[in-house]
Amino acid sequence: MSGYRLENGGRIDRSRPVEFSFDGNPYQGFAGDTLASALLANGISLFGRSFKYHRPRGIMAAGSEEPNALISVDRGAGRFTPNLRATGVEIHAGLNAFSQNRWPSLKRDFGAINDRLGMFFPAGFYNKTFMWPRSFWEKLYEPAIRKMAGLGDAPTQEDPDIYASTYAHCDLLIVGAGPAGIDAALEAMGSNKRIILIDEQDELGGGALADPALWPWLERSRKALIDAPNVTILTRTTAFGYYHDNFIGAVQRLTDHMPNNSDSPREKLWRVRAGEVVLAQGAIERPLVFDGNDTPGVMLSSAAKVFANRFGVAVGTSVALMTAHDSGWHDVFALVKAGVGIKAVIDVRTELSSALLDEASRLGINVYLNHSVTGVNGRHRVTSIQICNNDDFVGARIDCDTLLMAGGWTPSVHLWSHSKGSLAWRDDIGAYVPDQPNENARCVGACSGGWDFGSGMIVDVLPTPKDQSRIKAFVDFQNDVTAKDIKLAVREGFRSIEHIKRYTTNGMATDQGKTSNLNGLQIASTALAKPVTDIGLTSFRPPYTPQTFGALAAHAKGALFQPTRTTNIDGWAAENGAVFELVAQWRRARYFPKMGEDMHAAVNRECVAVRSSVGIFDASTLGKIEVVGPDAAEFLNRMYTNPWKALEPGRCRYGLLLKEDGFITDDGVSARLAPDRFHLTTTTGGAARVLNMMEDYLQTEWPDLDVWLTSTTEQYAVIALQGPNARKLLEPLVEGIDLSADAFPHMAIREGTICGIPTRLFRVSFTGELGFEINVPTAYGRAVWEHLMAEGAKFDITPYGTEAMHVLRAEKGFIIVGQDTDGTITPFDAGLDWAAGKKKPDFVGKRSMARPDIVAPGRKQLVGLLTDDPNVVLEEGAQIVADPRQPIPMTMIGHVTSSYWSETLGRSIAFALVAGGHEMMGGMLYIPMPGKTHEAKVSGMVFYDAEGARLHV
Amino acid sequence: MSDALFRNEPVSSTPCVADGVSISLAAPLKRYSLRARTAEALETVLNAKVPQKIGATEGGIACLGPDEWFLRTAAETAMPTDTGLPVAITDISERSICLVVEGPRAAELLMTGCPLDFDNFAVGRATRTIYETVEIIIIREGEDRFHVEVWRSFAAWLWTAFTAAASH
Amino acid sequence: MILIHCPYCDEKRPEIEFANAGQAHVARPLDPSSQSDEEWEAYLFIRANPRGRHHERWRHVHGCGRFFNAVRDTVTDKFETTYKAGEPRR
Repeated sequence: MSGYRLENGGRIDRSRPVEFSFDGNPYQGFAGDTLASALLANGISLFGRSFKYHRPRGIMAAGSEEPNALISVDRGAGRFTPNLRATGVEIHAGLNAFSQNRWPSLKRDFGAINDRLGMFFPAGFYNKTFMWPRSFWEKLYEPAIRKMAGLGDAPTQEDPDIYASTYAHCDLLIVGAGPAGIDAALEAMGSNKRIILIDEQDELGGGALADPALWPWLERSRKALIDAPNVTILTRTTAFGYYHDNFIGAVQRLTDHMPNNSDSPREKLWRVRAGEVVLAQGAIERPLVFDGNDTPGVMLSSAAKVFANRFGVAVGTSVALMTAHDSGWHDVFALVKAGVGIKAVIDVRTELSSALLDEASRLGINVYLNHSVTGVNGRHRVTSIQICNNDDFVGARIDCDTLLMAGGWTPSVHLWSHSKGSLAWRDDIGAYVPDQPNENARCVGACSGGWDFGSGMIVDVLPTPKDQSRIKAFVDFQNDVTAKDIKLAVREGFRSIEHIKRYTTNGMATDQGKTSNLNGLQIASTALAKPVTDIGLTSFRPPYTPQTFGALAAHAKGALFQPTRTTNIDGWAAENGAVFELVAQWRRARYFPKMGEDMHAAVNRECVAVRSSVGIFDASTLGKIEVVGPDAAEFLNRMYTNPWKALEPGRCRYGLLLKEDGFITDDGVSARLAPDRFHLTTTTGGAARVLNMMEDYLQTEWPDLDVWLTSTTEQYAVIALQGPNARKLLEPLVEGIDLSADAFPHMAIREGTICGIPTRLFRVSFTGELGFEINVPTAYGRAVWEHLMAEGAKFDITPYGTEAMHVLRAEKGFIIVGQDTDGTITPFDAGLDWAAGKKKPDFVGKRSMARPDIVAPGRKQLVGLLTDDPNVVLEEGAQIVADPRQPIPMTMIGHVTSSYWSETLGRSIAFALVAGGHEMMGGMLYIPMPGKTHEAKVSGMVFYDAEGARLHV
Repeated sequence: MSDALFRNEPVSSTPCVADGVSISLAAPLKRYSLRARTAEALETVLNAKVPQKIGATEGGIACLGPDEWFLRTAAETAMPTDTGLPVAITDISERSICLVVEGPRAAELLMTGCPLDFDNFAVGRATRTIYETVEIIIIREGEDRFHVEVWRSFAAWLWTAFTAAASH
Repeated sequence: MILIHCPYCDEKRPEIEFANAGQAHVARPLDPSSQSDEEWEAYLFIRANPRGRHHERWRHVHGCGRFFNAVRDTVTDKFETTYKAGEPRR
């Protein structure tokens, strides 16, 4: 280990060395080190390359505000995390970290040519330069720029880690466990409040961790809080966003600091609802703006103190300080005490407290008042600095390997701003501080502007004799924005800080301007000769620091991504080779291929089986609503287009449901079980929507009706048995129901038992064949299905899926709402005007059927299409024209909504929505497709058994 | 009902036992949705006490809304649904299954995806709510014991979510 | 995620239990057939889009199931009040 590790001090465990690697090279640190402190201890000063100019960059800060030292950590296949701050990565055995944005290596980076050409890359450069020719952008400019300018690489493999998530509730949430946050927790600890204390670091203490004098107090406080039953302490946890009603999002890092990957969650998302929120986020030190302030070895003075006192690391062997604030002096005194060699203190101010000067003199530190740093020498590490007097610019060179900056302090008002709390400007500290809350929240400690760091002077750019247009004095280190860029934006006419920010990208990097916002504001203020408060303030938005997608998605991946609803019979279908499709959230069997069959062969076979013997189909997903009460018939009469009052118990009716605008929204067959009880069915996808719509009318328009709605979709498994042999199969299994055609006609319902299980047995058909839909309590669905399969073997019973169901219904001219209709189709358009009760005075949507647009001619209407070539199956969605010889672009008059091969008919069939289609019966239409224009005749929609002879048997 | 035909449940009948919490499928129950304008109207029909306040339970009847109650009773005790009175009784026995979440970490488990505050959710309270995206009914049967009613088609997802969270 | 006071449950519940149901106090005409085309158009399609106080309908869909009315500020997203369906506009 090199000479940067101090002999004593720090909170690291010197008895536990830790081996890790950076850019493939092995290093050693101690337990308790961050990657930043461990590498600094090894004499590493170069951590990365900057975003735009590829300038060499080192560590600037010690905490989450670090803008430069972004690194990637590789924990194995799929476990690659880019853009972590080296100051927040705890080292552990085997840690494998890499620098970013450099090629071929960190020390020899090809992209650094950008720095030499820097004068050609002013603010707005990309927007101004790469506009022309437009076609070059996607293929040439953007890929090239992305390769050159960038952060870490995005991971390319699926993330094998798991992530946890929880809600939490507390009376008091404290964000930040520095002295102010700890005090707030100690104060509330004795109450019966539920308290959550959150801190992003691995241990409580915040700023106190860098102040050994406070450690005894810290240890006592820590113990007291751990022992308190009403206090939950979450370390390694970042409160990243503050949302309405004191809802705070936080991510807890559970395993990244551990040597081995584990099966337990890597991170946990906390969704906290708090009664009161105390923000104790502290303050961030501000860099100073001068030429070369980004050279590795130039860092915040407070950071040097943290590295020395918390990690036992000297940031340099000869250290100079450039300060505009008393706090820098105190840091330097602490560094001397810790054993770090101090070369000089340069203060931009002319006058300051004699106590500081006396202490400096006592410690033998060279002091330069009214001086500024005007240049930094060294490329990968500071070798010396240039200083000069602010009045006469008489200069001097000071040899040193580290330059500290102390530009004053910025309260961390990020979460306060997320909560929409207002801010007030304080001239004395040159910063915005929290003012009026918008939630039950308050700020304590440094983030409220209350601190004992002393006072300072606000400077935008340090005085320099150099040509301001030729220096690189950085404001936003992560986005490579210089003071010159901000002045350019002002010269080009930008006045609001919101515009200046977007033009220069100042404060728009992943650090959200934690170290740059206020310097940018001050520079703009000076350039515009307006007070800061006239220029505005950019908003902070979540997240406070970048968070992983994994944590935000939490468990919503793989099997838990979203619920896949399955029926009771789904397991049988899976075991019997079904190919599935998703319908809304439901998984439905699409077809059941036998060995060697493709979809078409399977569907043809399934269709023929239904038409010739008997098919069995899982219809459980159909929406079902039980409508009960004395006014049930009256209610349905108002909701559906057709009349319901005269429907006798035991009979079924097809119901058509419109929205108030007159367009079809759902349909289904419903049964009257008793004078005051109906069993409604809806489409699979429409179940929730229809129930919501009916509840809406019932609760808010007709609350006087005595009727109640209950979803029974999942109370019943529904097995459709369809085909000429359906009755023969069913008869011996059913008790209490006479299945004969006379006793149990088409569109009727009976209650009885099947295989001893109670059933609501519908005689209905969506296939045109003799058919039954067997409703049984869901738990018995599979058992009844299997029983029917076994008993049906003698009829060669054939399970069929949704695809065959679609073909069979199309042969019969039955529409599917949502496929053949699109939310702009009236009953008349769909050829269903027979179902619209013209004699009824009112129903939902009736008035709209007389709307001018709806009675106007030329509306798209549903018709059948028969292709001239019976073997051509049109594509669903294909556009239709009246004249194929018209010039392009052609006038499209409609489109194909359903199209199938009908094995039963030996030809293709289709439905289409065509403007004025009902008037075109027998006419020819054209469907231009790539390579060929198909010809089709307009027909009615019923292609099979138009008289219904097969139904009424 | 026929002994020959088996019930098919959407989740395992083997409980998931984790540190501080177990999740198990409750035995089959009879369930009814009871609807009426007032609790009194139902009391007349049921000849039993019906809770007035939303969230309250009494004798297996939970008040879920101003006109909605949820009755759970032993699987053997079917009740007539045809009353001829202005109330609605609907059999929903098989619409949902019940997961029993039990143990000192039971509330913690529910909190992984349910935004309610279980420190302020007394024993005996019942409510419809949501776990991530799935609607559930939670009934607090005891300090460390909850019944979670979930529609059958969502049950497998909820079981997977619960057992995953329990193992964390 | 905001908290919304359900006037039926009489407690604040998390937003994900609720669904917005559009503008409040748009009553369906008692006799739609007597409505002129313009009146019917206004009922079907014309809605307010205020900056500030807005009367809305919400449904406690994953709770007690009831529709109710609310006054919400569209700028701050804060609920001023909620009240039961059928009660006068606030």
